[in-house]
Amino acid sequence: MILRVVVNGGNREAEVEPRLLLSDFIRQDLGLTGTHVGCEHGVCGACTILFDGEPARSCIMLAVQADGHAIQTVEALAPDATTLNPLQEAFRDAHGLQCGFCTPGILMTMSAFLRDNPAPSEGQVRDALSANLCRCTGYQHIVEAVTRVSRNALR
Amino acid sequence: MSAETLYVNARIRRNEDARLLTGRARFVDDVRLPGTLHVAFVRSDYAHGRLIKVDVSAARQHPGVAAIYTFADLGDYGRPAPLLVPPPPIPGLVFHSRTHRPLASDKVRYVGEPIAMIVADSRYIAEDAVRDVVVEVEPIDAVVDLEAALVAGAPKVHEDLDSNAAARVLQRKGDYAAARAGADAVIGRRFTYDRGAAAALENRCVLASWDRQAEELTIWDTTQAPIPIRNGLAARLGLLESQVRVVAPFVGGAFGPKIMMFYPEELLVPWASMHLARPIKWTEDRQENFYATTQERGQLHDAEMALTRDGRILGVSDTFLFDTGAYDPYGLTIPINTQCTLLGPYDIPNYHSEFTAVFTNKTIVTPVRGAGRQHGVFVSERLLDIAARELGIDRVEIRKRNLLGPDRFPHNHEIMFQDSAPLVYDSGDYLPALEQAVETIGYADLVRRQEERRTGTRRVGVGIACYVEGTGIGPYEGARVTVEPSGKVRVATGVGTQGQGHYTVFAQLVADVLGVAVEDVQVVTGDTREFQWGTGTFASRGAAVAGSACHAAAQSVREKILTLAASLLGAQPGELEVAGGRVSVRGSADRTISLADLAAKANPLRGAVRPGTEPGLESTAYFGPDRGSTASGVHAMVVEIDVETAMIEVKRYLVVHDCGRIINPLIVDGQIHGGVAHGIGNSFYEQLVYDEQGQLLNASFMDYLLPTATDVPPIETAHRETPSPFNPIGLKGVGEAGCIPTGAAFAQAVEDALNIEILEIPLSPNRLFTLIQQAARR
Amino acid sequence: MILNGTFTFNGPRQKVWDLLQDPSVLAKALPGTERLTMAGPDRYEGVMKVSVGPMTAAKFDVAVTLGGKEPPERFTMQIDGKGAVGFARGSAAVHLQEQPDGGTLMDYTSDVQIGGRIASVGQRLIESVSRMMMRQALEALDRELRTRIDADPSGS
Repeated sequence: MILRVVVNGGNREAEVEPRLLLSDFIRQDLGLTGTHVGCEHGVCGACTILFDGEPARSCIMLAVQADGHAIQTVEALAPDATTLNPLQEAFRDAHGLQCGFCTPGILMTMSAFLRDNPAPSEGQVRDALSANLCRCTGYQHIVEAVTRVSRNALR
Repeated sequence: MSAETLYVNARIRRNEDARLLTGRARFVDDVRLPGTLHVAFVRSDYAHGRLIKVDVSAARQHPGVAAIYTFADLGDYGRPAPLLVPPPPIPGLVFHSRTHRPLASDKVRYVGEPIAMIVADSRYIAEDAVRDVVVEVEPIDAVVDLEAALVAGAPKVHEDLDSNAAARVLQRKGDYAAARAGADAVIGRRFTYDRGAAAALENRCVLASWDRQAEELTIWDTTQAPIPIRNGLAARLGLLESQVRVVAPFVGGAFGPKIMMFYPEELLVPWASMHLARPIKWTEDRQENFYATTQERGQLHDAEMALTRDGRILGVSDTFLFDTGAYDPYGLTIPINTQCTLLGPYDIPNYHSEFTAVFTNKTIVTPVRGAGRQHGVFVSERLLDIAARELGIDRVEIRKRNLLGPDRFPHNHEIMFQDSAPLVYDSGDYLPALEQAVETIGYADLVRRQEERRTGTRRVGVGIACYVEGTGIGPYEGARVTVEPSGKVRVATGVGTQGQGHYTVFAQLVADVLGVAVEDVQVVTGDTREFQWGTGTFASRGAAVAGSACHAAAQSVREKILTLAASLLGAQPGELEVAGGRVSVRGSADRTISLADLAAKANPLRGAVRPGTEPGLESTAYFGPDRGSTASGVHAMVVEIDVETAMIEVKRYLVVHDCGRIINPLIVDGQIHGGVAHGIGNSFYEQLVYDEQGQLLNASFMDYLLPTATDVPPIETAHRETPSPFNPIGLKGVGEAGCIPTGAAFAQAVEDALNIEILEIPLSPNRLFTLIQQAARR
Repeated sequence: MILNGTFTFNGPRQKVWDLLQDPSVLAKALPGTERLTMAGPDRYEGVMKVSVGPMTAAKFDVAVTLGGKEPPERFTMQIDGKGAVGFARGSAAVHLQEQPDGGTLMDYTSDVQIGGRIASVGQRLIESVSRMMMRQALEALDRELRTRIDADPSGS
């Protein structure tokens, strides 16, 4: 099947098998390995990308479902090769990552969340984060990173 | 330690984060090599049985399949994997070493045991071909329950043994029987404590590439121990160590099972690459991880504490069973940790601890964060709590009466620790930590309000648990520090990194000694081409051991810097200052040279290098502590329970922790937060559920519940420092601290809220509900 | 997994017994059966496709051996199902009792061990799916029974 999809703002076209997972398409065919696969059954959230601007789990989608749509991966967040965006900076400042495996999925989820909720309370952040699993951090520094960037953005 | 400490105890942002945050960081599965073939395994559906037939003929015909291997194809390579940790020389110890083969030969002993390896153009095709393999197994009743496993006539996991007992160990101090005879109170209970999967977010992955022309094997592996993996695989494959390179790049969490070594997949993927002369990759999926990656499970304790009427411990006796799974490659590390950690921060003059390790038809058990310490802490803390209740003494007070005082160090417990040395606590100051925890959690006020807390549908309880943890054990680690002509510093060490911040923490230590910026120190870990000697990241030893080696190597480079700069600047080394990337004569602004220039001058293209000196500004140093140093801490928590739904909410969680000298407080806090979250998971949400035939019933995140952001409260941390005498900086470990006493604190808090006795972990809404009902009926 | 239950057929016991011994009838009644044929005296073999939760259309090679036959009252079955997603093996016992109103009360007991991947992901659903399949099968058998009775009202 021919697949036409906008990836991080650029048009991509590929021939894919119908059963190819979107996460495998992103990692293997597109070579964008920033999106990680943690469970392949839609629970851990490590594979979260933005699908037409909304967070979606790429591990339980087929690549062909993206035909005619636009996806964004973690590689689209930083403005250039040497700069981090404010959310990424906040994660770095607050020590919001340890092994970093769950981080891209969390960044994508939080990017959409902050876009729609610019001034969340800690409880709201935790709720929004509750569908992304992290085994390293205990979530506290992640929550701090998100509330920090929202506070900074409001100033 | 240098006089000016710029970077130790500084909340420095991590060097590695930019790569991780932008998705640029390389994890093993990210590595792409042209021509790679992909692997899927045919695994046993039965927990126990005779392997009668494996017919791969149909699968071989599957288009896209390059090769299929069964045990018959392995020849001598099919021999059992090595015993990784021989047990320490405890007198009278009985240990039966039974390790796994790369593929099942005549028997299958756990669900998920690999039977055949399929190599194909893609993982999709390999998994298709799995369906075409016909496996015939004659089932045997599975051995699952620990007590039933030891009953005469039970099916034997290893038929050449007399029983399913893998080991029997007795450790003793003093005379418990005499202590018991003279006691005013003897508290005895049966305790069960279960752990679970490590569940690192990144599953295991092995990619091997045999270069036939160079005769070199490169292996990317999600391992915590690249050097031992390299050495073992080289030996097994008949190669020189220098022909094998093992790289553990960024690893997405490990927590113990990634230091289990010579997994079947780790043995077979490189072997297949050599056979097929193609790169071969195996990426574990999450369901596989629940079977194929090791885990920690349960222990069953019959324990007793003998006390005086004012709560002084006279002795403890503990007999327990330990589930080791189908094989025991990791020896007895876990149960020996249990034996040792049970003693806690208390003065226990008489101790009798014996355990039987039991083979069962389940996944192999190897250390998971905490490594058996949880079980020991649970037993002693619960016994103290029950004793407190029966003797009418406050829970905190009874602990105070038994704590070892600061004048009792070093304290030799006369039993043996996992590193084969006697268990000696080197340093610690327990009472202030306990008092700080008690004060901060508001214990006195909570105790006053106990009646009020135990009424209504939402009941509140407080739990306080103390523990001691042996960390920073040997044998050794090494590091090489190099100042390059650019002025940047390179550090290479043999341990791997799975999120602990080594790229920053080691840089901080070196930056301090060499007077450069932390961002100008580039750390390389986990690559055997970079550093050849060492063990790995485990047992909370990275900073204490590898960090100390980095520090020692940096000190040696500093000596070279001073010597060379002194001769170039015409001064005495004692007159020189090293700061800001430069060496200067104190008080003489114009007599200065940059480290960059110094490095260039240290490696001349012309002229002579004096005999007995080395070129460059580079040194390698090793550090091996005499023994591990003792970290300690106190956890306090407040839990609210809805008695109608039996759901809980952790309202507050506090950790007062002593890990000796702190290098980076942000990172230490992160380690504690992560450990506490893991401990909360183990206490209430996580449990591996096996049925009577050894089938794992919840091998997915749908049913194996990891705690989420709404399950883990904000965690308050307070740090105390009693520096370790075993390394120059005074470091102790902290990686596992967060999850060791959590279960004990949890049980105490739930007991406090509901006024029922809790003798088990994990709890769960179901289980809690049942316990509440049972108590109501009494 | 223990699956026990009762079901009342709307027809005489002998006819129910005959129905239960006919693999072509069973093949049509049991949901997901692609094929079920006699492979020998008192032995059926076939292929079934079962969906349990996230595992859809999981294919199983099935072998059923009948035993303990006391027509038309009772018999037992040994069941052996094997597939890529796991296995199901166990036994079942069927007891038929004539009812005063002309119907037949069947009570069945079965103990089937489920193993492999299907056991670990479908666990919470296996029992309910099995009950549902059983109910659908028995209702289909009952419909076939009535069809046969209508075609031959003499009751032979």
